[in-house]
Amino acid sequence: MIEAPSTIDIASLLLQVAHITLYILIISAVLGLLLGTSLTMITVKNIPVFKQLTTVLSSFTRSVPIIIQLFIVYYAMPPLLSNFGINMSNLSAITASIIALTLYHGGYLTEVLRAAYKAVDKGQHEAADSFGYTPIQKFFRIILPQVVPVALPGWGNALIHLIHDTSLVFALGVADIMGRAELIAAASYGMNQIQVFIIVAAIYIIFTFLSDGLVRLLERKTKKYKLDSGLNTGGA
Amino acid sequence: MNLEILWQDFLGILPIVPQTVALAVIIFLLSILIGTIMALIQEYNVPILKQMVILFKLFLRGTPLIVFIFIMYYSLPSVVNFFTGLLNMNYNAHNIPPAIILIVAVSLTVSSFQAETIRGSFLSVSYGQMEAARSLGYTPFQAFTRIITPQALVEALPEFGSAFLVVMKAISLGFMITVVDIFAQSRLIASSNSYYIEAFVVAALMYWGIAVLVVTLTNKFESRLLSKS
Repeated sequence: MIEAPSTIDIASLLLQVAHITLYILIISAVLGLLLGTSLTMITVKNIPVFKQLTTVLSSFTRSVPIIIQLFIVYYAMPPLLSNFGINMSNLSAITASIIALTLYHGGYLTEVLRAAYKAVDKGQHEAADSFGYTPIQKFFRIILPQVVPVALPGWGNALIHLIHDTSLVFALGVADIMGRAELIAAASYGMNQIQVFIIVAAIYIIFTFLSDGLVRLLERKTKKYKLDSGLNTGGA
Repeated sequence: MNLEILWQDFLGILPIVPQTVALAVIIFLLSILIGTIMALIQEYNVPILKQMVILFKLFLRGTPLIVFIFIMYYSLPSVVNFFTGLLNMNYNAHNIPPAIILIVAVSLTVSSFQAETIRGSFLSVSYGQMEAARSLGYTPFQAFTRIITPQALVEALPEFGSAFLVVMKAISLGFMITVVDIFAQSRLIASSNSYYIEAFVVAALMYWGIAVLVVTLTNKFESRLLSKS
């Protein structure tokens, strides 16, 4: 007779591997933000060739299921790149997941950031120019503080999508929360599958609530930079 | 990359495309139906049901789809058995095909997004439209179906287009519970001839093609509706 492990046992077994999920999540969130920002710069500055590539990348990452993107990066990228003399034959599943999720998150964020950038009134650019700000000063002191509050809700949604999609990396063989959950569910002859996956759901719900809380905190901090809009009268 | 294999894989995956799209259409229509019910519950403040809808939305916001599919896969048969047992029906729910479970799980997930879309699109139609229709002698039902709904549909159409694509992508997780769609078929083909890259690339291109088609169609349809209204 095999005794089914208790809820606390299962939760602690799952939390032992939570750092792998968090590692993939945080790295791809940071890299994706960087990628999304640079891609937005390319689109906004209208740099030829790169702009078309950005359109293709963001259309691809948003149209193709993330699970296929994961498989393509894991299986197809090393042989394709070896044609160009880049050796990636020992690409680990975790690195592949990070690359795929970064591309996905970056492609998604491009749309969010571009819309937020467009939302800044043209007069703001002109006013900053007429005050003699250099382009870099103008961007960091005038434009960026106004872009951030507009982009935050979209960024929060993108983060939620990213958190949901990290649950798929176990398909590549990463031993993250979902990978461990499948093992536990299989080990007890299917006695506690429902229990295991409800605990997994609870862990992910905590992740999303933390990310929602972070976004709300940032929204409160940047509210004062928000100017009037059709919907409200702005902050300070 | 082998062109001949690409072509073979394409022919191998093609027969499954109509089936996948049909599954997506069923889920899409169901999600609109459930989404409308949820929107009505929230709009008319139905007690208890409203709290249930809010709780359910919170749960789905935090739970990845694959986890929800697994929970449904393992719990739905027992739940159905419980109810059929209450009604003294002799039906073994453990024979429910996995496709049905996928349909239930994905439509429930997508319906919570649809509810927001539907609520927003009906709110965007001004109440004056209803008053004008009533003063012209329309019954409330006629006014709703002939005046309000067409205008709300124009608002909702782009969102519906992207919701359909979300459904298409969500179905690709069906392979975890043995439902065969475009992606699952490409995996089967890949493991039979062991050309993994080609199969996945073909599947990705198919999804991409479908997405471009859907976006183009909704844009066309939207401009036609706009020119009418």
